[in-house]
Amino acid sequence: MIELNNVEKWYNRGTVNEVHALHRINLAIEPNQVVCVHGPSGSGKSTLLAILAGIIGPTSGSAVVNGRKLARLPDRFLTIHRRDTVGFIFQRFQLIPELSILDNVTLPLLPLGVKPAERNRRAMVLLDLLSIGHRARFPAAEISGGEQQRVAIARAMINDPPIIIADEPTAHLDRALSLEFLSIIEEFKRGGKTIVMASHDPLVADSAVVDRCLPMRDGRLEGPLQPI
Amino acid sequence: MYNLIGRQLNIADYALGSLSRNLWKNAGVVLVFGLVVFLVASFSLVTTGLKSSAEALLKSVPDITVQQMSAGRQAGLNSDAVEALGQIYGIREIRTRIWGYYFDPDNGANYTVIGDDRIIEKEGIPGIPITYLPDPESPLPADRAVLGQAVTGALDLGERRSFSLFRPDLSVKSFIRVGQFDRETAMVSDDLIVMGESAARDLFALDPGEVSDIIVSVANPLEVDTIAAKISSLLPGVRVVTKARIAKTYRAVFGWRSGFGLACLFGAAAAFFILAWDKASGLTPDQRRETAILKVLGWHTEDVITLRFWESIIICLAAFMIGYSAAWIHVLFFDAMLFRPVMLGWSVLKPTVSIIPSFAAGDLLIVASLSILPYLAATVIPAWRSATIRPESVI
Repeated sequence: MIELNNVEKWYNRGTVNEVHALHRINLAIEPNQVVCVHGPSGSGKSTLLAILAGIIGPTSGSAVVNGRKLARLPDRFLTIHRRDTVGFIFQRFQLIPELSILDNVTLPLLPLGVKPAERNRRAMVLLDLLSIGHRARFPAAEISGGEQQRVAIARAMINDPPIIIADEPTAHLDRALSLEFLSIIEEFKRGGKTIVMASHDPLVADSAVVDRCLPMRDGRLEGPLQPI
Repeated sequence: MYNLIGRQLNIADYALGSLSRNLWKNAGVVLVFGLVVFLVASFSLVTTGLKSSAEALLKSVPDITVQQMSAGRQAGLNSDAVEALGQIYGIREIRTRIWGYYFDPDNGANYTVIGDDRIIEKEGIPGIPITYLPDPESPLPADRAVLGQAVTGALDLGERRSFSLFRPDLSVKSFIRVGQFDRETAMVSDDLIVMGESAARDLFALDPGEVSDIIVSVANPLEVDTIAAKISSLLPGVRVVTKARIAKTYRAVFGWRSGFGLACLFGAAAAFFILAWDKASGLTPDQRRETAILKVLGWHTEDVITLRFWESIIICLAAFMIGYSAAWIHVLFFDAMLFRPVMLGWSVLKPTVSIIPSFAAGDLLIVASLSILPYLAATVIPAWRSATIRPESVI
């Protein structure tokens, strides 16, 4: 369960570069829902996702994810939240290009002390599921955009988190790859995951796999919301 | 338990891969760092080698040496003084000694010639190992001599046993080599030619009864200073040198040279650590991005610090092993050629002096603490700063 209550976010508050990114956001997302936050660039979608992922904190208001009040969590527990509760898929995938696909996927497991054989086994299960297992030893720099996205998905899933957060996941994909991504999301939904995506791609917003589409503009959620 | 060890192993493995991704840059740091370790370790090995040679020499130094002084310089001493010293209670043994310098113009080298029957008669001297050669099958009509390693080389003797030196009147005096000083005492024995006392007297054309000095052994080491004082009062005008004073002089000389050398090396080391700091604090955009990605993926700040720590450790150990190994090769096979002008500056006209590096755990620790610890200290704060990069910077 995800709950946002009167969440505000300011950047550089009190300076000439001040940005009011989120205005009193109220939102509730039930488990196993697929939610798409839909809006133009600069509307605050990425900021909203970053707060849910525990990457940044709200300026005011509360964000509660699976019973944890993120704003009050010390940095150490926010890291654990990022590691165990959410899997984050970046807009530009953010792979480490010199590492192999396999090594990119297993990165979250290194500080956990998971043995190499076990790491690789878990990664290969996901890579095979995403039809990219045959390229596991390739450097990430040498694969296509669609393959990079699947690697990013596998990396987000390696700790089997209950929530997947994806920021503009289809921004760099063609229509066919975008549809393939949506089918993967559908698969995860069937597996019981909660998925929150930010996208300005109508293909995603209008997809049947999306349970709720939340329009966003100028830091405000519009349309039929579920205020707390 | 595996998780603790496994975490370290996983992060160390990742650090190794991370370093290899910037191979040339990190190899450059290892080479520069290795050079600093090489300089410090070479100096340490040379200093220790010279000190151990000096300590070996001190074992053979007599308790008291009595020398005649004339106009502030050493002069010949009449052996009649031995009888006067015999009156002093507590002296175990009194011996006369003849020694001097022989300049070899062909090699531009100055040899130290000592007349000592004990060595020639194979009685030996404590602390100075000698390898005696088998007696020649057909003895030559020549005096016997034991040579230092460098003298043998300078005279180009090879397997030959006989050689000649010139008396002051340029007449030739022949010798046969019967032994050689071992390499362990090279610093003090390399330029030595030891022969019988009568042969030395003949070579230097000394008057009968004239000796270079008198050496005195004392039964009770605690009485050395007392007996030295008695000798001074009994023989006015002589210089009485005790073993303790010689030891003090040696240590002062080596201590000064070590300090001077280390001061010079400090500059090089300081420059390197500034470089290390600069390298570690100046993260590239790719490194900052990588750190932010790792933190989004669930790496704690201490995980990133551990990663940077392992990177530093790997660089340190690689540089230390390369530098220390090179230092051993430099000292053992190239006779510390880079430090000869500083450490052996007074022996310009002497034959080549070989330095034997000696292994000492203490020295190893000193070199390690002068190199590894400052590097880690120089990189720990930049590592912490890089680890505290906020994960949102990658969004």
